[in-house]
Amino acid sequence: MKTLADLKKIREKAQEEMKLRDGKVRIKIVVGMGTSGIAMGAREVMKTFLEEISNRNLTDVLVTQTGEKGLSSMEPVVDVIEEGKPKVTYGNMTPEKARRVVVEHIVNGRVVSDYVVATGD
Amino acid sequence: MQDISLHLLDIIENSVRAGSKNIQIRIIKDANANFLRIIVSDDGIGMDPITIEKAQDPFFTSKTERKKKVGLGIPLLKQNAELCNGSFQMSSEPGKGTVLTAEFQLDHIDRMPLGDLKETLLSAIVGHPEVNFSIILTSLDKDKEKSFHFETAPIKEELGDIPLTYPDVIKYLEQSINEGIQITNMEDV
Repeated sequence: MKTLADLKKIREKAQEEMKLRDGKVRIKIVVGMGTSGIAMGAREVMKTFLEEISNRNLTDVLVTQTGEKGLSSMEPVVDVIEEGKPKVTYGNMTPEKARRVVVEHIVNGRVVSDYVVATGD
Repeated sequence: MQDISLHLLDIIENSVRAGSKNIQIRIIKDANANFLRIIVSDDGIGMDPITIEKAQDPFFTSKTERKKKVGLGIPLLKQNAELCNGSFQMSSEPGKGTVLTAEFQLDHIDRMPLGDLKETLLSAIVGHPEVNFSIILTSLDKDKEKSFHFETAPIKEELGDIPLTYPDVIKYLEQSINEGIQITNMEDV
């Protein structure tokens, strides 16, 4: 059984690490989780991002979810937000595409233009 | 929606959009009384009787930012529950939050599977760090009752400014939820 003591250890380790990089979140991933997004597989896309972050130990990446944004025909939709750069919106996402976005965009900093449906605010 | 856990995620997203700070999710599998019941209660903005009525109508949505004024989430869940000898209820008052209950006959041949409950719960919890979740899973079979209770507020308090999507925290949450699902035999419902 997991206990709060396990969490304390995680927190101490994470705090050490955050000290080394000023506690900054480098990149934010926002998964659209409206009704049509869910019906089109957004939860599996979310799952893939969480798996990749956990497996690759990406400690400076944040993932959240949001409602629909009027891009229903392109669901599942994912925004990647990096400080000082225009927002990138990926559409028609699948777990496979999400993995490629993690490797190329999140890790290596190259936008995967094949999947981009919008940029900027 | 292919399964109940996807419907559940959809309802949770409604609660989040209603500005809820606390969301309680209860899942009861009762083999004796032959039902599977999902209850989601929140402390969001709530609804007046007219909005409750409209929310069950497929040609209404509360999402004002959209041109397309239809919302299928709740009507579809209602239909799926009623199709397998179950029931669907929403009770709410403006300013007092909403309680939504969907019940399915457990052994009905047309009942959709519960599906990947772990992914729904994990996704909702880490996707909405601003919301406190309380999760209660209960299973009843003959004279055996098994229960699992999970609260995210003390976890977030312990973590302080460490995000819920920190790799080790994801693993922690995933394992905790998995244990609960196994304890209550909700893996293959």
